[in-house]
Amino acid sequence: MLRFIIRRLIITVPMVLVVISLTWGLIRLAPGNFYSGEKALPPAIERNIREKYGLDRPWYQQYWRMLSNVVRGDFGISLRYQGQSVNQILAQTLPVSATLGILAYLLALVVGITTGTLAALKQNSRLDYLSMALAMLGISMPNFVLGPILVLIFSLTLYWLPPARWGGVPSWNLVLPVLTLSAVYMAYIARLTRAGMLEVLRSDYIRTARAKGLSERAVIIRHAMRGGLLPVVSFTGPALAFLVSGTVVVERIFALPGLGNYFVNASLNRDEPLIIGIVAFTSIMIMLLNLAVDVAYGLIDPRIRY
Amino acid sequence: MRNFKSWTGLAATLALALTVASCSVQTGDAEFFGSVKPPAGQVMRYVSGSEPESLDPQMSTGQPEGRLYLALYEGLTEYHPVTSEPIPAIAERWEANADSSEFIFYLRRNARWSNGDPITAHDFVYTLRRGLAPELASRSAYMAYYIKYAQAYNEGGVFVRDPRTGDFLLEKDVPTAEGEAKKSDPASETSAAGENPAFDTPFHRFIYSPTRLVLPGTEKERAALFKSSPKLAELVVGKEFVPVRAEDIGVEAIDDYTLRITLTQSAPFFVGVLPHQFFRVVPRQAIERYGEAWTKPQNIITSGPFILQAHRPYNEIVLVKNPYYWDAARVRLEKLIFYPLEDITTMMNLYKSGQLDATYNHTVPTGWIDFIRPLKDYMDAPEVAIGYVQINTTRPPMNDVRVRRAFSLAIDRQALAKYQRVVKPLTAFTPEGIFPNYPQPKGADFNPELARKLLAEAGYRDAAGNYDPRKFPADQVEYLYNTSDRNKEVAEFLQAQWKQNLGITVSLRNMEWRTFLDRRSKLDYKGFARGGWVGDYIDPFTFLGLFYSKGGDNGTGWWDPKYVRMLDQANHTLDPQRRYALLAQAEKYLLDAQPVIPLFTNASNWMKKPYVKGLYPNPMTMHAWKFVYIEHDPAKWDRGMPSTEIVAEK
Repeated sequence: MLRFIIRRLIITVPMVLVVISLTWGLIRLAPGNFYSGEKALPPAIERNIREKYGLDRPWYQQYWRMLSNVVRGDFGISLRYQGQSVNQILAQTLPVSATLGILAYLLALVVGITTGTLAALKQNSRLDYLSMALAMLGISMPNFVLGPILVLIFSLTLYWLPPARWGGVPSWNLVLPVLTLSAVYMAYIARLTRAGMLEVLRSDYIRTARAKGLSERAVIIRHAMRGGLLPVVSFTGPALAFLVSGTVVVERIFALPGLGNYFVNASLNRDEPLIIGIVAFTSIMIMLLNLAVDVAYGLIDPRIRY
Repeated sequence: MRNFKSWTGLAATLALALTVASCSVQTGDAEFFGSVKPPAGQVMRYVSGSEPESLDPQMSTGQPEGRLYLALYEGLTEYHPVTSEPIPAIAERWEANADSSEFIFYLRRNARWSNGDPITAHDFVYTLRRGLAPELASRSAYMAYYIKYAQAYNEGGVFVRDPRTGDFLLEKDVPTAEGEAKKSDPASETSAAGENPAFDTPFHRFIYSPTRLVLPGTEKERAALFKSSPKLAELVVGKEFVPVRAEDIGVEAIDDYTLRITLTQSAPFFVGVLPHQFFRVVPRQAIERYGEAWTKPQNIITSGPFILQAHRPYNEIVLVKNPYYWDAARVRLEKLIFYPLEDITTMMNLYKSGQLDATYNHTVPTGWIDFIRPLKDYMDAPEVAIGYVQINTTRPPMNDVRVRRAFSLAIDRQALAKYQRVVKPLTAFTPEGIFPNYPQPKGADFNPELARKLLAEAGYRDAAGNYDPRKFPADQVEYLYNTSDRNKEVAEFLQAQWKQNLGITVSLRNMEWRTFLDRRSKLDYKGFARGGWVGDYIDPFTFLGLFYSKGGDNGTGWWDPKYVRMLDQANHTLDPQRRYALLAQAEKYLLDAQPVIPLFTNASNWMKKPYVKGLYPNPMTMHAWKFVYIEHDPAKWDRGMPSTEIVAEK
């Protein structure tokens, strides 16, 4: 197990470097630059800017500078936001995205697993149909539709909750974005749990457990759920990575100061250091969480060994 | 089927909830849009637009930052809250010389930084020298190119000196190439500003002497120049090149409270340029001490009515009243909060729920206009901004002025304005209803018959001589625009008009913003591209000047020395009305050449709660925050567009 983890961690390093290099290349290929505006700049001003940011040097020098920065863990200064280092921006925005993501994740897990399990146990009941219908709705309704509907009902009609903006933790401002964000995941988890549980509940080892005279509670929680939740585990690992690393649409609708907002704008603004920083950070996060999923697999399912 | 009943029940409940929700949005408060409960005390919550690039007024060019700079920094002059024209700020008064190429500003003695230190003329000299320094790489430095040698310094240019005599080569010593507009030298031809003999300083004798020749700073560029002009190469043999220094630009502190600015050309509108962010005074001591970090809340020193208390990126920027501000008695807001928001629906949601007291221009979505317009908190006014189509005049078939005119004549602008709901039709290149007394010329309006005739004349005709759309190379023409719903509406409208009236199908192409800018500025497009311009100051020249420099920064490839001469002549004219007439002639000349197809004058289109006073629908939607306050007495609220009482006060 430990060797497996170490091996995977070592592979992460070249993979991140490949991702960064590809990203860097793509930014170079994109037309336009961070300083362009409606009125084209006089050539001399453009030259001043290119000199100031070292864009007049040959590409391999620029690439090397970027790479050595990344290796040192310093992503440089944003081209767009004067005087703000990328590390500083990451440090400011990550807590916002992470809070939002983790809350949405927990909510999705709790609600999703509970509903899914109940639906599986009471298959073909009203509860089953209702919860699965809602889950279907949750999956098919994109968050840019759900968000505004929730805002319309709870903020603009009932005036119960604020329609947007960050209010710190805890605050009422969190309710709508967390709900919007978790809806899809909640729905997926509910359906996956139900399907997994239905399959497991019919399997032989559950029959054995029941035959041994175990209580229904023990059968469900100790035996059925372990196997029934495997599909959920493989779904929620990457899901957590995406949730935590910034959620573009929800951050935009609710005007939240998270990573997602910065990422979109950084790409639109051709803010190279910031794009590289966020991409590197996100890819590391996704790789680590995928590793965590694989490890969790081994822990949950006795059939899997590394 | 046994669950059918509960399903219909659920569906009905959901439908009801949505209907209730949408109905209450439709009706709401009959008079205003959403909540009208003012915040406690004197607190104003506003939106800045996208997260500001920088709180350094000389570093960014955008409106989002401009809105903040108006609160934090002040310049020699400030925008009038109603008309956007210049009013005295740190400069109490000023005088110009006879041809408006030199200005003397008399600063008020009680102007202070937010740390209590006095603001002097030396601070303005520092500000301008810093803004123009090539190392700072300011994008708005071009705003100050009117100042003598400013462009030379910013571009890293050099003077040419004879090492034996110490004399500099002058501009007039060099024969100009044929066809180039001759650069004039107003400062040396007419009287100086100010009668006071004490104002005669060694610096002034230098800056007021005939203009020195400036050459490019790099060996390579100079070599290219000498190659094209052997006469010039001869002249500089045996001479040395002296870099233009910050100290050489035409800005001088005559004493602590008297500032003189000498320009390279006549610019009667110059005082109106000065409220622009680039000219707002910045604190030398903070900048020299903290470098780029000087704008952090703990380091910043401001010159305007507010100081920075907190800056939480993408969240909020909190400003509080500056007690040292010279006009602090007038400032009633204790706190001014900006939310950096971009999504206009989110903005409108916050506004409706009472968490925002006003929005900036263009924030009411097109689909909402019919519902919002009758409400008494809707603000609208003509804007110093226009929408137009740019034409790549360098490629056939659009290099033929008849073809360009035909495409302009084939557009029904009235119908476009109606379709767009808030804009006004426009045939000229300056916005309508902004410059009082400007005799704006009319361009070609809707005339599809003439359009077809012109195309036939241009060679697109059948054997009988009648216009034949099949002869037109439609594959050589397309309309390029940057992706946005509004631009798409306009693009589709133009496409339909051209199809309907000329029988030509122009394909549409949309692109991401920066890709679009890149293509357009390099003239890498066929036929048409979307164009728009927001004036930097209240004078027609801010629009007409787009075609002034040859550098192709207008993205059409059109440049005409005659047009430049016409503008120069206008700007040398002292009588404002006569100058306007000359500018109008130049504009007419531009319209006849048709490198652009004007479409509309923008409208400002925003919201303001009735309890916010002192905020006016002005042409730039740039608000001088010192006039703004919260009125807690409902009897004194604005119901409809505010009256302009402040005009009488000033």
